[in-house]
Amino acid sequence: MRLKLALALALGAVGWALPVLGHGVGMEHRRVSSVEVQARFETGEPMAQAQVLVYAPDDPAEIWQQGTTDDQGRFSFVPDESVPGTWEVVVRQAGHGAIATIPVSDGAGAGAETNNGTGEPAPATTEPSASSVISPNTTLSPVQRSITIGSVIWGFIGTALFFARGKR
Amino acid sequence: MHIPDGILPAQVCAAGYAITGLATWYSLRQINRKPDPSAEIPKASLLTAAFFVASSIYIPVPPASVHLILNGLLGVVLGYFAFPAILIGLFFQALVIGHGGITTLGVNAAMMGIPALLAYHVFQLRNSLGKVLKEPTRTGVFAFLGGAIGLGVAALIFLALIIFNIPAELDAGAERTAVLALSVSHVPLAIVEGIFTAMLVLFLRRVKPELLEG
Repeated sequence: MRLKLALALALGAVGWALPVLGHGVGMEHRRVSSVEVQARFETGEPMAQAQVLVYAPDDPAEIWQQGTTDDQGRFSFVPDESVPGTWEVVVRQAGHGAIATIPVSDGAGAGAETNNGTGEPAPATTEPSASSVISPNTTLSPVQRSITIGSVIWGFIGTALFFARGKR
Repeated sequence: MHIPDGILPAQVCAAGYAITGLATWYSLRQINRKPDPSAEIPKASLLTAAFFVASSIYIPVPPASVHLILNGLLGVVLGYFAFPAILIGLFFQALVIGHGGITTLGVNAAMMGIPALLAYHVFQLRNSLGKVLKEPTRTGVFAFLGGAIGLGVAALIFLALIIFNIPAELDAGAERTAVLALSVSHVPLAIVEGIFTAMLVLFLRRVKPELLEG
């Protein structure tokens, strides 16, 4: 079973807000860009409760973050923008798995703004911004796929016919 | 139950290629000893096509879904041709459908091909051990056993390979539970493939019995 990793790099808001507890407490929030991956089996069924390992580009041998996907096969994390490069996300379950590479650029876009004190609170919902990136789908389209599969099968049948000829 | 790239350490992949190389050499030598080595190529080629397609056919076995393998069937019907047939089928599956991978081709071929050879020998037992049973039943029962054992042994090898190669950074307990659940769901599949093998063999026995001698 092959897995498809659908990636949504949501450059949206994952608000960080410190609770207001009493007098003289400032509040700060900032928007950070988080990356969401979704792992699905080839049949389209989500890969629930799979283990996820995230590796930072500066140290590919060390796990940067670890977790499990939810029931929809989703997992999101906030990459450290001070480490630009290609982040690697490995999803694995029962000997099945896939690796996704996610490019993170330095200080990606609007993500790094910081508000102090009186700023307006960040909107709770994720805005679908133009900077959303869906990782390119490298698999073949259904038509290309069926043509390829058909050609391979025809190759086998042709071989059979070739060797079936001769005798008699 | 194809093992994709990046799951197994490099040594295991290399060992898989070594075992597959040996088994291919042995199978080809056995084929070469036949009076007419190319006589069975049409049959082998057609069944390779069937094997290639079979892994795209999913059977829902709650909670997972498994796909047909048909390695036991290839062993029963093809004998020593089964190993090269499975190797070629897996190669095209890795390239075209994305099942398995090129680095794990050796491991996968050994995992499915060697049980196929075992299935062939189980099926051959019908001429010695199976003498107590009457003819159509005998062929049917041993074809079923061949098909089911071929798949069952492959599933056990898969289980062992994954369990002994869980990387240290993973939660070993969760991974073990998941792989056990997946292996258990191969029990119904083994029965399905056994029945399928028996049906095909009984059909061949009726229409073209000489195909089963080999």
